[in-house]
Amino acid sequence: MTWISKSITVVGGVLLAHACYSAQEHSALQSFKATASTLTSSPPTAASLPIDIAIETIIALLVVIFGLVLGTRPMRPIQWHVWAGKLEREGEEGFLDSEGEVNRDYVGNPFRSLETRPGFIDIRKQRKEFAAWVKNGGGQVSQ
Amino acid sequence: MAPSLLHPPSQLSPSSALQLSQQAPIVLRDSPSTVSSSPFTALFSASETADLWIKYENLLLSCLRTGDERAAHQCLERLVARFGDDNERIMALKGLLKEADAQNNDELEVVLKEYDQILSENDTNIPITKRRIALLRSLGRVSDAASSLVQFLKFSPTDAEAWSELADLYLAQGMYPQAIYAMEEVLVLAPNAWNIHARLGEMQYMAATAPGGGGPSYQKYLVEALKRFSRSIELCDNYLRGYYGLKLVTTKLIKDPAKSTKQTDEGEFTLPDSDTVERLNELATAKLSEIVRRSIAQESGWRGFDKLEVTAARELLSEDASAASRIER
Repeated sequence: MTWISKSITVVGGVLLAHACYSAQEHSALQSFKATASTLTSSPPTAASLPIDIAIETIIALLVVIFGLVLGTRPMRPIQWHVWAGKLEREGEEGFLDSEGEVNRDYVGNPFRSLETRPGFIDIRKQRKEFAAWVKNGGGQVSQ
Repeated sequence: MAPSLLHPPSQLSPSSALQLSQQAPIVLRDSPSTVSSSPFTALFSASETADLWIKYENLLLSCLRTGDERAAHQCLERLVARFGDDNERIMALKGLLKEADAQNNDELEVVLKEYDQILSENDTNIPITKRRIALLRSLGRVSDAASSLVQFLKFSPTDAEAWSELADLYLAQGMYPQAIYAMEEVLVLAPNAWNIHARLGEMQYMAATAPGGGGPSYQKYLVEALKRFSRSIELCDNYLRGYYGLKLVTTKLIKDPAKSTKQTDEGEFTLPDSDTVERLNELATAKLSEIVRRSIAQESGWRGFDKLEVTAARELLSEDASAASRIER
């Protein structure tokens, strides 16, 4: 969440709280008036909220929604070629969650196993290749 | 960033495989060795997740690759304790471990006999069948491996991995038409796999440029490869491998234009006009140079490319540029 969306959400929340407080005060005043009117036996007034409080509530709600929507993470691509391009172009970095960890459901190119064929691995060849890599000083480069 | 243990490690580089297997003691210490199935203990201990066993399996493969047999055996023990000796996947892992432990060809023959024994009891054991084929290939008995694989595909024709292995087997023997046929079967099973489209394009390009591959089918292979690379780019934006292949193929097509229109009359394929090929070539050059530039500058959002692939693309571009300047002079 960026600070813009956060501050908009806070402003909306304050407006909403203010509207609630106004409504509460208004009803308290109404009930006080009603008890006063029974004493003077004048006709009771309609106990509906004034229009400005209703408008304030609706605006506060819209502002809060706007702030929250502004703060959502960008959507995942839904078109195949855009998604695949993102996988190839950004690698793991394009699929981080809010904690900066790679998403659990990130698998890279899901069709890569058709080329690497884990069911048919030649373990002896892999071991030989790894030994050769170590012998050529590959271990030092990675450290 | 260390690679995740939740994905099969077969495509990792040696350094990341080493990184993974160095984690082995920690993972083995921190993960439970057995998970009780009684509900009473489940109240007090963490519940069992599928991740744990996938982790053990992948750790086993990485450790075997880096030669850490002790950790590999420990992983296998835990897997056996959970799934039992007669689980098909576990049987394949056990066989894999024996293959890795074997010192000479005689011991490998013994492992092969064991596979045959298992298959004679249950010949639908897919993991063991695959191990047997892989071992045959590893022993150099390629034709045996190919015929077993064809047998296997007869009873399991929807196994894309096996078709892909068959394509690779044929390709290693230089049997291009058969390899291309097998790869097309993979595409039938996984039509959206952009890397398989690119792989098929590469195979067709190899078939076209192989010694003795010239002749009437030369143009046909090139045009097919052009189509495959174009499709892989269509499926995946900024696909470096696809653009690389597209550039190679279009350069070839521009260099030797159609010798005659005889082939097009056969109706098997139509050669795209030279204008289209030129434009595709320009597009590939532009895209490749953009990818190389941004990837070397480490721009954010462009760091996912393989370093070696980027280097290769840069070499191709510079070769192309020097060739062009020579022509101008």
